[in-house]
Amino acid sequence: MKNLKHMDILKLDRRSFLKLAASMGAATFLGTYKADIVRALELSGTNVVWLEGADCCGCTESFLNATYPDVIQAITKLSVHIGYHETLMMQQGVFVDGRLVGTSELNSELALEEYMTGEKPLDVLVIEGAIADGPEGSGMYTTVGGNPFKEMVQRCAAKASYVVAFGMCATYGGIPAARGSVTDNMGAQFLQTTKGGTLGADYTSGAGLPVVNIPGCPAHPDWIMLTLAAIILGKGGLIELDRYNRPTAFFPPDNTIHENCPKRGFYDLGQLATDFGEYEKCLWKLGCKAPYTHADCAIRKWNNQLNMCTQAGSPCIGCVQPGFPDSTSPFYVEMEKVPTLVGVDINTIAKAAIGAAAIGVGAHAVRRIAMKEE
Amino acid sequence: MATVVVDPLTRIEGHLRLTAEVDNGTITDAHSSGTMYRGFEQILKGRDPRDASRITQRICGVCPTCHAITSVNALDDAFGIAEYIPKDALVVRNIMQGLNAVASHATHIYVLWLPDLANPTYKSILETIDLKPVWDELVGRFAPISYSIKGKAVPLGSSYLAAIPEKKALQEAETVLGGKMPHQTTSIVGGVTCKPTVADIGRIASYYVRVMDFVNHYVLGLDALGVTSDPLETADKWLELTHDVSKDKAVANVLDILGGLPTDDFSREAGWGDIPLFAAFGSELIGETLLGLPASLKLDTIGGYPVDPTKIGFLSYGVYYDIKEGYDPTSPKGERLITSGFTSGDLKYEEFDHNNVTEHVAHSFYTSGNDLHPWSGETEPVKTAAEIKYDDSTAKYSWLKAPRYKGIPCEVGPLARMINIQEPLVMGLAETFLANGYSPANVYTRMLARAQETIILARELKKWVLVDLDPNGKFYTHADLSMAKNSKGVGLWEAPRGALGHWIVTDGNSKIKSYQPVVPTTWNACPRDANGKLGPIELALVGSKVGPVGNVLSTLGAISLSQENENPTGIFHIGRSYDPCLACAVHTIDKKTNKKYELRLL
Repeated sequence: MKNLKHMDILKLDRRSFLKLAASMGAATFLGTYKADIVRALELSGTNVVWLEGADCCGCTESFLNATYPDVIQAITKLSVHIGYHETLMMQQGVFVDGRLVGTSELNSELALEEYMTGEKPLDVLVIEGAIADGPEGSGMYTTVGGNPFKEMVQRCAAKASYVVAFGMCATYGGIPAARGSVTDNMGAQFLQTTKGGTLGADYTSGAGLPVVNIPGCPAHPDWIMLTLAAIILGKGGLIELDRYNRPTAFFPPDNTIHENCPKRGFYDLGQLATDFGEYEKCLWKLGCKAPYTHADCAIRKWNNQLNMCTQAGSPCIGCVQPGFPDSTSPFYVEMEKVPTLVGVDINTIAKAAIGAAAIGVGAHAVRRIAMKEE
Repeated sequence: MATVVVDPLTRIEGHLRLTAEVDNGTITDAHSSGTMYRGFEQILKGRDPRDASRITQRICGVCPTCHAITSVNALDDAFGIAEYIPKDALVVRNIMQGLNAVASHATHIYVLWLPDLANPTYKSILETIDLKPVWDELVGRFAPISYSIKGKAVPLGSSYLAAIPEKKALQEAETVLGGKMPHQTTSIVGGVTCKPTVADIGRIASYYVRVMDFVNHYVLGLDALGVTSDPLETADKWLELTHDVSKDKAVANVLDILGGLPTDDFSREAGWGDIPLFAAFGSELIGETLLGLPASLKLDTIGGYPVDPTKIGFLSYGVYYDIKEGYDPTSPKGERLITSGFTSGDLKYEEFDHNNVTEHVAHSFYTSGNDLHPWSGETEPVKTAAEIKYDDSTAKYSWLKAPRYKGIPCEVGPLARMINIQEPLVMGLAETFLANGYSPANVYTRMLARAQETIILARELKKWVLVDLDPNGKFYTHADLSMAKNSKGVGLWEAPRGALGHWIVTDGNSKIKSYQPVVPTTWNACPRDANGKLGPIELALVGSKVGPVGNVLSTLGAISLSQENENPTGIFHIGRSYDPCLACAVHTIDKKTNKKYELRLL
């Protein structure tokens, strides 16, 4: 991996690598640069350790839905070695009379230990799920093998070349950290919109990057596959991040889902649904958060480019925005009619959660609709 | 005597720790601990009730659809419109649930459970007794990712490799109606948000054909058996033999099929599909006694229960709406395709009545009242790190409460459902086991029940998609937030892994006052109750062999007892056979006030 990091395989400038990869789609991208990839792979495989904390496993499920490349292609063709993944691995933790037994081939605790001690290089650490800090800062609300999950994350992060937080929970805390939660769950390097999290605001991985945040509930498989591809190609250091450390290639600061929404035409004509069952209309008044939400869902779509929330008649719930679900709920109430969101002043929310949308097209959309209403 | 702890039990959803006391190869005592505490009930409090169907899906990413639908069932009830939900919306919900259930079962069977049959312990044993070709099939089909034996990388199993794209295809098929997966977006109070087109129906049908092609060739091997190679009639043909007949006939037909297969060639091409291979070699009674095979994995001898109705029962809430306008949210007997019911440990059916449910916390990390009906349930947890210990089984040792039905611990899931609908093959097998001194429920019947339910759903899905789904139908009935003032609702449904209920109470502002999911793994993986009754997984572990020594081949000596404790396949097989999903299974608190907060309805 160290060699790869300094290879200049693609001779792309620092802004455009992921943008190109994203815009071409992973299949085309990998096809076009196949020779380079093969060369790269001759040098090394990529060890991935995937930890699951306070999660629902939905991001792993989403990962298994990846299409180009799919998971099997990633493993067999891209030489991605998933060294630890509790949902998928053969091993499990086994203790006899309190002692870890067997070998790393059957004992997951020993398999992880090899990465945590540096015996095997930990190229990419993927974190899925929020990380409990409670009670009393002990992290004992989530344990694995008797140890706090929090400690596993800290130990692995200390050895990892890259750390990717995959999904809303691991990035910003998500639902386990939502209003009402009592477990002190948090993201790897953020709690909602505030930098810090389990690893602290100043953490950087071996490659010198902060935690790369790939939010979404779940996150889209292309987002992580393309990020992994960039890392495999030695371009991980060139991933451009926004202020919430999201790759701008997938979460463009200046664009929202609304701009390319399949129902955008109805919005432009002022045809706004006021109840479900009005199919040929824009979902804005039903609470759609797409004008505030920075992601490429409308272009990339979901599950092999089949569909997306608004296309299926359901308002966007803003599940990639820091602060989700509090910052984007109630889901079925129009944003203009929400004077305070869950006890937080709308201005705070706008600054904190909606972020750059306030000066982008999203705000423009809000204004246009508001004017039309009057 | 040794204490064997499996933590984490991987290839499940969430975090589970199983502790077993092992004496000379046999488990003499067992404890099951949920080790993650997340909590949704408190997070839902004060929110718009309509958001619950989006948020509760995030309880589980493997089976989000059943949470979404259980939640909208509770909302339909709370809004007072369950009886008006359009038939076509119910068809769409059935299809989404069916596709998710089949995907979840496929994931469990191929990605989570079957890899255990590629455990190296079976290599040692099968090679020693000249059944290396069987081992070659097991490892060649079911080996998971990143697996190696003695330093040598094991290639991905052929069935594993083939199953992952099909699982993905099933998620894509659901996406056609659900917007995206996991966490589909279209189930809402009043119906669904989507309006399927003729093209959508065609698209789902094409996914159906490709998935059933996999079922035909890999799962059942019906093509090699000469039964059919047509994916569209795969489910019908299998069910004609095993489901649309009497119990005796169903078992006889399966024995006929297995008995006709060659014993010198165990390949798929010779007719040994994955289910035939499992059905023959998984069971001592079926494989060795009835078919005369030289050995088996004896999975019918582990993971069972004493035939004692005071210790175990089988519970289902019912799932899949009748195809008509509206539905009864209390799920009375016969109202759903797979009906609600309670069957005792000695296989006597009675109608389900949710007033019989209570929850115990004697061994759970909560300090609140014990043996309370959920209506008056309390959730007050331990508050310090020092109290969270998993090694003192006389004290509290799990984040799961211990639900009981009339005081009886209950298994929930495909086996419980198949027992409650008296499914011919599964009941036929269960009664055969019972008559021969085996537990009717065991690892073997639990896995076959999951497979059989998958095929039953496949046949229903075909009908729902091709016959019942009407693109010109009505998919939504109006639901105004004001209808949810000072109301309450119940959602009774089934997750792929078992009975799932959501109970909601709303306040005068139509906000959520209390929201209580009671989920399947709380039933299956719960700790002991105040009366010392073991949870189902605990009960299933006790008396089972920890590994294959003295089980698959007692006189062999290929593996020592201490090696067995280090590779306790018995614990793996039993724990995973329930398809545990721990994320769902824990409760929550209000730390700020520490008050006993909720009125939980049942």
